[in-house]
Amino acid sequence: MRRVGTVVASVAGFAGIVALHAGNAPSLPGATAPPAPVSSVPGTTTPTTTAVPVTGTAVGTSEQYGYGVLAVKVTEQSGHITDVSVASLQTAEQYSQNLAQQVIPMLRSEVLSAQSAQINAISGATYTSQAYAASVQSALDALAAK
Amino acid sequence: MGTMFSFHVSPGECPTGEAAAIASACTRLHELDAIFSTWKPKSPISRFRAGLLRLDDAPGEMTRVMALCEEARALSRGWFDPWAMPGGFDPTGLVKGWAVAEALEVLRVAGVKAAMVNGGGDIAVLGSPAKTPAWRIGIRHPWRPEALACVLEIDGAVATSGCYERGPHLINPKDGRMMFATASASVVGANLAICDALATALVVADEEGPDLARNLGGYESYLIQSDGTEHASAGIRFASESVR
Repeated sequence: MRRVGTVVASVAGFAGIVALHAGNAPSLPGATAPPAPVSSVPGTTTPTTTAVPVTGTAVGTSEQYGYGVLAVKVTEQSGHITDVSVASLQTAEQYSQNLAQQVIPMLRSEVLSAQSAQINAISGATYTSQAYAASVQSALDALAAK
Repeated sequence: MGTMFSFHVSPGECPTGEAAAIASACTRLHELDAIFSTWKPKSPISRFRAGLLRLDDAPGEMTRVMALCEEARALSRGWFDPWAMPGGFDPTGLVKGWAVAEALEVLRVAGVKAAMVNGGGDIAVLGSPAKTPAWRIGIRHPWRPEALACVLEIDGAVATSGCYERGPHLINPKDGRMMFATASASVVGANLAICDALATALVVADEEGPDLARNLGGYESYLIQSDGTEHASAGIRFASESVR
């Protein structure tokens, strides 16, 4: 039975990737819904509705943000995210690198705690967090497509 | 990159299907971006700012957004003022929240009974989620890496502003300090456009933020000050097992 559909739109301007997940997990944007088969098409929605527990690891797309480019690696066990790590991080300046290294552990703990804290979303947006969430989402998409 | 939007929709109640409703909501977001992007030189907002488009000839959305800007400017005692921006009227500080609310409205009109739309941390909700009586929203802690600041229960909307991620890059013009008194401001209320604008206003109001927060015309606020103290207005509902 379907519970909750989650669509995540990762956007430049307002345009970009749109994907749909089914499941009843809380949704840090693009981070926590158990993934279903997904297609990501710029500017369109292609929803699917079957929630299939996934186990595996995938690296998300490299996402640009205000101060650099980052990509994350997501590990799932039976449809539950068990770890998120940074696969690559490039910044133009050391300052941005330092900031990212402070921020990313926070984002990681958010992705993980969002699943345990029984919350529906997180408020408090930032450049890095959007790129991070978009990369997490694309890793989930890749896992679901396996 | 721009803003990420995520949608939660309860299935089974929407006659045309949730997928079609969400697709319509996404279409609406693209329309609004086309109108209000100040980065696109030919967008109506850019042409209006350049004096090349009269308000009477602009899309109706512009008039609606301008009315909301006036409401937010009054509620914030002028701390949110799109007319004071360099380059002319710039409603960007309110448009993201408004667009999220518009997307949720598309879902509601399509028959969806319970949904949440999250646009980069600006969140609007409809109905209640599947297993709990209220939507529970974690508020990002401005500097404690291992925790959310709290979890709020909301109906309506919540927006959060702060300048914690980019470090002390803003300068108070009055005394040259590079920190604001308020590190994070969340505003809860009925209209997400207003929440969005007021959250920003509470931060830039600096030391007047807590005082401003006391009278926001029915909007509730939760502030985390740079010294670590927190202020919550009477109507803020903390989830009972808040992660703290």
